[in-house]
Parts: sequence; C-alpha cells; structure tokens
Amino acid sequence: MTPTQLQPHTQTSQKQILLVEDNPGDADLVCLRLVEGRSDVKVYTVNRLADALASMSNHEPALVLLDLNLPDSHGAETFRKVLKHAPNVPIVVLSGQEDEALAINAVHHGVQDYLVKGAFSGKQLERSIRYAMERQALLSALELTRQEQIEFKNRLLSHVSHELRTPLTCVHQYISLVADGISGPTTTEQRDHLKVAMKGVSQLQAMIRDLLEASRAESGKLRVEPRCIDIGELVEQAVAMMKPAALVKGVGLGAGIDAGIPLVFADPDRVLEVLINLIDNAIKFTPADGAILVNARMVETDPDMVYVAVSDTGCGISADVRPLIFDRLYQEPGRESDSGSRMGLGLGLFISQELIRLHNGRIWVASEPGLGSVFTFTLPTFSLARQLSPVITHKEQLRPAFVLVRVGVSLQANTPHARRRELVQQCRETLRRCVYLDKDLVLPPMGPSAAGEAYFVVASTDMEHSVILTNRIREQLVGIPGMSAKGALNVTAAPVDLLPADLTGSLTEQVEAVAGRVSSIILQGQGGKAIYARNGESRYVH
Amino acid sequence: MPKQKILVVDDDANLVQALRLRLLANNYDIAVACDGYAAVATAQKERPDLIILDLGLPAGDGFVVLDRLRHRANLAGVPVIILSARDPESSEERALLAGATAYFQKPADNDELLQVIRVSLPPTEAQQAMA
Repeated sequence: MTPTQLQPHTQTSQKQILLVEDNPGDADLVCLRLVEGRSDVKVYTVNRLADALASMSNHEPALVLLDLNLPDSHGAETFRKVLKHAPNVPIVVLSGQEDEALAINAVHHGVQDYLVKGAFSGKQLERSIRYAMERQALLSALELTRQEQIEFKNRLLSHVSHELRTPLTCVHQYISLVADGISGPTTTEQRDHLKVAMKGVSQLQAMIRDLLEASRAESGKLRVEPRCIDIGELVEQAVAMMKPAALVKGVGLGAGIDAGIPLVFADPDRVLEVLINLIDNAIKFTPADGAILVNARMVETDPDMVYVAVSDTGCGISADVRPLIFDRLYQEPGRESDSGSRMGLGLGLFISQELIRLHNGRIWVASEPGLGSVFTFTLPTFSLARQLSPVITHKEQLRPAFVLVRVGVSLQANTPHARRRELVQQCRETLRRCVYLDKDLVLPPMGPSAAGEAYFVVASTDMEHSVILTNRIREQLVGIPGMSAKGALNVTAAPVDLLPADLTGSLTEQVEAVAGRVSSIILQGQGGKAIYARNGESRYVH
Repeated sequence: MPKQKILVVDDDANLVQALRLRLLANNYDIAVACDGYAAVATAQKERPDLIILDLGLPAGDGFVVLDRLRHRANLAGVPVIILSARDPESSEERALLAGATAYFQKPADNDELLQVIRVSLPPTEAQQAMA
C-alpha cells in the first residue's frame, strides 16, 4: 500500500511526519491538533507497522508518531522494531490512558516522548514534536562524535604501532647480528646480556600487539573463527608451551582434563591466546615452589558450557580489586610480580575477556589473598545431536532417508595463511548455497585446520538422489575463482548412507545414535581424532 | 657455484645493512634498493632470484612495486617476500593477492625469515642436477 497523503498544511520547508495509527478517528484527531498547534508539517498516515517500515525505507521521515497497538504488531514489539529499523528517527508514542506504563517503558528504550491520546492540545503536540526532533539531532551528533573519536583513536594507535615497530626492528636486527656472531666473536657473558636485551624487545613487541588488539576489541573489530575443537588438546598444548617459563620460575604447571569432556565450538588460536595469557599471569604472581593447574570440566547445572580454570597458589587478588582487573589498562598498585618482571600494559585480561565474550562465554576470577587465584572461563559445547535434530527429524519421526556427504578440499601445503582462510570461507559459503537450508546441514569445521579441509553435509535425501547434490557441490567448488589455479588440488564429494537399520528407543535416543554414527564416520576421515557426542557417555574414539 | 641473489628493498638504510650482513653470512648475494622506483630498476638490472620488499616506500609503495614486477615478463616469476611494519590484518591479504609469496611483520624472526627464503627460492642448477 502506498502511504496516503493527508492535506499538507503549508507549502514551504515542511517537515514530513509519519503517523502510524490504525484508528481513523484517532488519526484525524492528531491531524486536527497539528493544525491547531500550527505545526509546519506534512503528514503521511499508514495503519500497519509493515507499511510504516516500508515507507521509512523509501523516505526517512523527520519524526514518527506511533500508536503501539496496530493490526500487525502490539506493544513493546512495535517501538522496538521501529527503533531498530531507523535508530536516528525520533519517535513520539501515542498511548492510550491504560497503557501509559508501556509508553514510559518506550521512553526508557530510546523513544523520545509519549502523548496520551485525547489528553493533549495542539500546542503540546507541536512542542513534543519540536523537542523530540531537537533531542534526536543532539543524540545523533553525539553518536557521530563518539564514532569519530573511536576512529581517530584507532588510526592513531595503528599509526603509532607502525612507527614504533620500525626502530624496534632496527634494535632487534642489530642485537641478533651481534648475538648470532655475524658481527664477530662474542663471549658467553656478552651473549647472556644480549639475551636480556632481546627479551625486552619481545616484550615491547607484545605490548604493541596488545595495543592494537585492545583498540580492535573496543571498536568491535576483533574476529573469532569458531570450529569444533577438543579443548583438552588445546589445554595440553598451552601447558606444554608455557612449561619452560614455569620451570625457570620453579613453579609447577599441570593440566587436568575431565574424561569424556565434550567438544567445544571455539576459535583454537584465540582460546590458546587466552590460555597463554592466564597461565603467563599465573606464573608471574606465583612464588617459586608454587603450583599452577589448568583444568577443563563440565558443570552439572550448566550442561551447554565447558568450564576451563587456571588456578594458582600465588599472592591472590583482594576483593575490592577483583572487579577491576578485566578493565582496560588496569594494573594493581602494589601487586608486585617478582623482581624485574614487567607488568605489561594491563591489556591482557581485557582482550581475553573480549575474546571469550565473542565466543558467548564468560570469564571471571575467584581469589583468596595469600592463597591464590582461580580464573575461569566458559566455552559453548558443540552438540552434533542438537544440530542434526532439525535436519533428520520431521513430525516427531526420523526422516525416511538422509546421507552424509564428505567434501574434501586439499590445498597446496604452502598456501599462505590469509589465502587459505579466504578459500575456506568461500568453500563454506559455496556449500551453503548448494544445499536446502531447512533440509540440509553444513557442519561447522571439525578439528584443527590443516592443509586439507574436509566439510561434511548432512542432507535429507536418499543415496540415489544425493548424486545430484554431490555433482552440484563439485561443480560449484571448482568454480570458485582461483580455486583450481592457486589453492585446491582436489575436490571430492562422496555420500554415505546414514539411514539407520536397527534403531530403537525414543526419538532423542535415535538422534543421538545417528549423531554417533556421523561422528564416527567423520573420525575415520580424520585419522582417529576424537569427536564426542554431547552427553559424556557416548565417546567415539577410533 | 654461483650464489643466489636477493634484492632487499627498504627505505631504512640501517635495516637494509643489517639484513645485508645476515644474508651475506647465509651465503647469498645481495642487491639493495631504497625506494619503489629503484626497486624495479634494480630488479631489472640485477635479475635477483628473490626480493624482500617493504610496503611503506617513497617513489611508489610496495603494492605499486609488486604490480610493476608482475607486469614485466622477465620479473613476474620472481618470488617476493613482504617485510613490513604494517598490520597483517590490513595488508597481508592484499599483498598475497597481489602476488607476494609470504608476509612478515617487522620485527620478524630471523630463522623463520631465512626458512621461508630457502623454500621460496627456485632450486639452483646444482640442486636440480642432484634431483
């Protein structure tokens, strides 16, 4: 429907107002009040939310007068949708006597004002409109300034970090020329001194990196690329990497992984970064002969999350300081790490917190001053059964047929990281275009990324018809620009019949069983990497 | 046996000197250039087996150099390793798509850099004969 135009009141410099009101009587009354208040406006009236949103997309009005109860939307939903659709357009809610509380709630959520129907004069309406526009203009200007400041700060940080790297590179190169004996023979003592200097260079380098990461975190530009990963393996890896540093300090470092812990859906590089940051902190604040334990476990009351904790026997963190440590640039005064060790920029925990948040997890600390601290974070588990359920069931029953298609894409071993990431992303997008989203499922990437990527698609079709799908996948993947030339050597797509022959039990149990079968097939393709179904019992290791 | 030649392009003379010493110590021949224009001219004249290229350069930045190299038939195949202070997040992908072989952010680990130089260089005649 096209918005109907009600009589314009004057000819020049008019503001256009969108009146969203389904009751013709109320709409007429508003127009009458506008005339009385001598508002210099042009009013368009629509009576449904959908028409309002469409009209706003075509032409952004100067203000929206919004009735909350419309034929196609009621209550809070109405203003939320309009706010989301056009956050910069001021809204004045038209409320009935009985739902003034709702109108006040709307104002809390970003609506500029409200008027109770039948209880406002032309003057009041005119005033409300004028102030709403003024306030919205101020808010928009403020937001713009804020964005500009963030942008400026990011540019500054990026510039500064670039400029810092140049002389740092020079220092790094000349220290290593001497240390490596290229500039001539050195004594053991000289080499030891250079090692200390080199450590300083590494720390500066880490700080520059943290600066950039923190500024990215602040402007929401940090990225995570989640996959299905074995958190136990990742913990073991982090512990192995930090062992030498712990050894030097004389601190014990170990890992404890619950048996049957499920897979998590997380970015392995980023989680490793968080683990290393937490372990590094723990080493710094734990005296010699202390101990650090990293464990991964399930918590009964929170079955959708895996809990990873780094506990130390260090100096602990006092209660008043605990809430502050995840803040940017926070460094506890007087919380001394051992002599000579740096405190860093105080960005590590801030960045870690952002990374965990991007995984939809939480991070927090518990601590007993003098006894130690426990940093815990959570990551979402990956449940194959939960993902499969909507695809393989229909009307409370398993579908009559479904297959698992394994799509292998091998990349040349020396494909650069960025190029690989790009190809992997393109492959996934292409695969998604090849399937029916309500009937088929492209499983997320499994295990650590390697030279070859394998993708798995569960499709609700039978073996005979799956040929069409596999052919389509092959054709589309080979068609990715640069795929055959630069990266991929080989694309394979082969279906496996998933239809279970002898399934019994409830639908949930049947889905679990199919999930088990899928993971065992995926496992075989991965040379026995562990994949687990969600409930701890079904663990499929080959 | 003739040594393989590496062209180092950077506008920081001190860094060029340090890289030169390290590469000489690793038995490579070295040519140097300190701006974008000289980079292409020197490459044309010296015919290096590999180029180490900075991105922020006067007289044609690293991307311009990459582009010019790729448009010269006799230089298009020479592997180029980017060594830049710029954030890989913003520049790595662009450089690799423009034809660079690898991207290192300064300061780079010397052993890693040397390793990538080794695998990127075309095999020498002696190596080919052995194979």
